[in-house]
Amino acid sequence: MSTTNDAMPVPRSSMKRLPMMDLWWLPRALVLGLLAFVIFGPLTNLVLWTVAERWYFPNALPMSYGFSFWARVFSPRGNAMEALGNSVLVAMLTVILALALAIPAGFALARLKLPFRGLILLAFLLPQAFPNLPVYVNIARVFYQLGLNGTILGVVLVHMTHGLVFSVWIATAAFSAVDIELEQAARSVGASAIRTFRDITLPLAMPGLMASAIFVFLESLDEFTGSYFVGAPDINMLPLLLYTASGGGNYQIASITALVLLVPSIGFMLVVERFLKSDVLSKVGH
Amino acid sequence: MSHRPLSLLLVAPALAVILLLFVVPLVASVVGAFEVGDGFGFGNFVKATELYTQDAIFTVVIVSLSTVLIGLFSIAIAGYLTLGENPRTVAILRWLYRWPMFIPFIVTGQVLRTFLAKNGLFNNVLISLGILTPVQAESFLDWRGIVIAFVWKQTPFVTLLLAGAMASLDRSTIEAARNLGASRLRILFEIVVPQVATTLLVGLILSFVTMMSVLSVPLMINAQSPTMLTTDIAFRINAYGDYGVANALGLVSLLITSVVAWIYLRHGVRKSL
Amino acid sequence: MKTILKAALLVSLAAPSASAAELTVMTAGDQNMVDYVNEYLGPLFEEQNPGNTVRVVGTGPGDAGSQKIVERFEAQSKAGTATWDADVAVVHEKFTGPMVKAGYLESYRSKIDTGALVTRANADMALGSDVSGYVMPMYNSQAALAYNPALVENPPKSYPEIVSWAKEHPKMFGYNGIKGGASGVSFVMGWIYAFGEGDAKNLMTGPFEESETQKWGPALASLKDFTKNATLTPGNAGTLDLLSRGEIAMGPVWVDMFYSWQANGQLPPDFKLVLPAPGMPGQPMHYVIPAKSANVTLAEKFVQLATSPKVQADGIVTRFNWYPGIDAKYVQAELDKKTWDKLFTDISPEDIATKSKPFPIAPYNNAILEAYEKQVSN
Repeated sequence: MSTTNDAMPVPRSSMKRLPMMDLWWLPRALVLGLLAFVIFGPLTNLVLWTVAERWYFPNALPMSYGFSFWARVFSPRGNAMEALGNSVLVAMLTVILALALAIPAGFALARLKLPFRGLILLAFLLPQAFPNLPVYVNIARVFYQLGLNGTILGVVLVHMTHGLVFSVWIATAAFSAVDIELEQAARSVGASAIRTFRDITLPLAMPGLMASAIFVFLESLDEFTGSYFVGAPDINMLPLLLYTASGGGNYQIASITALVLLVPSIGFMLVVERFLKSDVLSKVGH
Repeated sequence: MSHRPLSLLLVAPALAVILLLFVVPLVASVVGAFEVGDGFGFGNFVKATELYTQDAIFTVVIVSLSTVLIGLFSIAIAGYLTLGENPRTVAILRWLYRWPMFIPFIVTGQVLRTFLAKNGLFNNVLISLGILTPVQAESFLDWRGIVIAFVWKQTPFVTLLLAGAMASLDRSTIEAARNLGASRLRILFEIVVPQVATTLLVGLILSFVTMMSVLSVPLMINAQSPTMLTTDIAFRINAYGDYGVANALGLVSLLITSVVAWIYLRHGVRKSL
Repeated sequence: MKTILKAALLVSLAAPSASAAELTVMTAGDQNMVDYVNEYLGPLFEEQNPGNTVRVVGTGPGDAGSQKIVERFEAQSKAGTATWDADVAVVHEKFTGPMVKAGYLESYRSKIDTGALVTRANADMALGSDVSGYVMPMYNSQAALAYNPALVENPPKSYPEIVSWAKEHPKMFGYNGIKGGASGVSFVMGWIYAFGEGDAKNLMTGPFEESETQKWGPALASLKDFTKNATLTPGNAGTLDLLSRGEIAMGPVWVDMFYSWQANGQLPPDFKLVLPAPGMPGQPMHYVIPAKSANVTLAEKFVQLATSPKVQADGIVTRFNWYPGIDAKYVQAELDKKTWDKLFTDISPEDIATKSKPFPIAPYNNAILEAYEKQVSN
């Protein structure tokens, strides 16, 4: 694991670099290769298990391959597709809601005078910091009383509570990182506060905000406890399948489910990146 | 001062969500931690200390060590992404580093359990490459396994944040320094990292907190004792139905994260002064 | 075709409870429990009760899965919900006592035809709590030692033999402690039954006496020594995983899990099981019906079907190689000799009769676990 240290740009003055150039591909390739092994080794394991019908010691690779477990995951009564749809819908709504709440909050926390700023930031950390299980029982009770159990909204609210720490903290950091002089310059040439925010502050904070969106999305997509307590049995989510299978050691079904969950995760990230590239990165450095 | 009502208004919706949906239900749990029999007291904390002090220390050490490693690796990767001069390497690295982020913790636990075992894929590859003999192969399914799992899963998270922050930096200072002949390592640590310190710190604290609350990784990877607090909390609830000690342990875990968060807040406050 | 449809329509109109209902089944346990309801029991029930549908929710393996069902009931009970969102639940034995005590459950055994087919003691008493009438066993689960015959020629037949075997083969015995699942817990309980100075019978049936809890010191001390020489595995599945890759040669596992790993191709088919003397605890998985289920009658029908000799034979024994929940003689009658014998390939009916023990009653159970935490793992 100590390999990435070598990936550091090697100190070398620009004058000396030229004659050495040809040889630098070697350590670079080596480090990249090691990194690829560290990252894809475990992932290969995962992918192999999705198609392994029989695999045990001393065989280094599966002894027979097939798709019978895929048939089990996607059996008509398993409702895996519906669960996937629910998971993606909930994750998207969670991201939208979390960002809608976090952008104003993050801006205020980063830029405006606020009493008890520290305590407020700490409050957002709570849902991650305190082990959830005891708390979920209480949340479920409240949601039963409100009739929120078994609704998409209920699940979204629970996921958002969890995701807010990412979006608020990261938004706060992103807004604080925006150079205040740029805003002042815009204001001094007569731009309104809202326009300054829209044209200067928001775009510059966008990479951070989008990163936080990805985390909120992933957090929601993988969440199990809240989905069970608030969603099931009316709203089925894919991680329920994942947790039952993985916890019981059913490697094939867990791996297949994880692979299926990769699709929306990566898709979401690609969309976010496209958005980032066209809209934001062009403005960076101006 | 005129900002104050506005700023409160901006924070209020998000804060209300947290208060209503988490803090209020949490209060019941916090009270539960002090419930002993019919009255209130510190009995649950006494028991927690008696049985789980070692585990609490273990948890702090494991999570801190992981956090430090995550910090180092993410600076290295994000730094290369920002300052690297070989476009192909940068492109490959950018494509490469993010994958573990998309794997849920429980699956991370599962794949690493089969990957890091004594006869797992990791040792098998080393043996077939001739780096290791079968006798030397050992299992990593102990504290090292937990650290590896955490670093594997969380480094991309911090790197993504960090690379984003570095990309938004004003490049003119970097170019100027480079023109003056400063090495890239010096540029990284003297110019780039200080400017993204807040983001780095936020990323690391969020990682720290996340790792503190992950149950599946210690449960599926670490067989040994001591183990992490989350395992103990789950065990108190599932084996004994004992929410008292579980909540007491939850408070201990909350206390640990608050200390870390406080470091950030102090830093943040100092910065704004 | 038309007549069949008409007949079906008539039947569904005539039946009093035939207004289409959705029966929600929550089940703790592994993926195969969910699959069992989804692929076998559910369709069968829907066929027999046209118009109704069955849906199943898996709450996760192990005690944690059952605990989540208890918590769900608790939340609904505290919220004062009029009808609950589960109609049938499948939970571990240990959680039925508290559920009955809290008043969450319907007493239904006397109301269904198959109720009389269960006479085993563990259908009336669950770890010292009286649950008679409230539960029907889905199947009986048993912990046993799994071993790799390539590495173990003469498997130990008793706990003392395990100790000497493990001494001769350091690190080749593996178990998962007590925090990673109940197969390790079962091994520890068996250890106390074998080496504890108290009366093992009293541990299993009660009554609880504080003085008994002082009698485990030497047994736990020797377990600590034993553990040093053994490999600790990460969880129930972890034991099977290390067995499958040849890192350990022997370890306690759940028999049902052992068979599903073999069926999934994760464990070599030649691996075997042995139940050491004086025995290891097993436990039933129970069907329970929440008193506030919206479909109590339908739920009773469902459990009646699930515990009928036919389903126990086809579903539990033939499909999974699990020990039936209702009395064996009713199930055996439904099966040919070969299928029935397959159930006892490694562990004979006599073994089950003499060496399948219940877990200690709840207060002893907790006291032993806590003593283990203090003395063995600290």
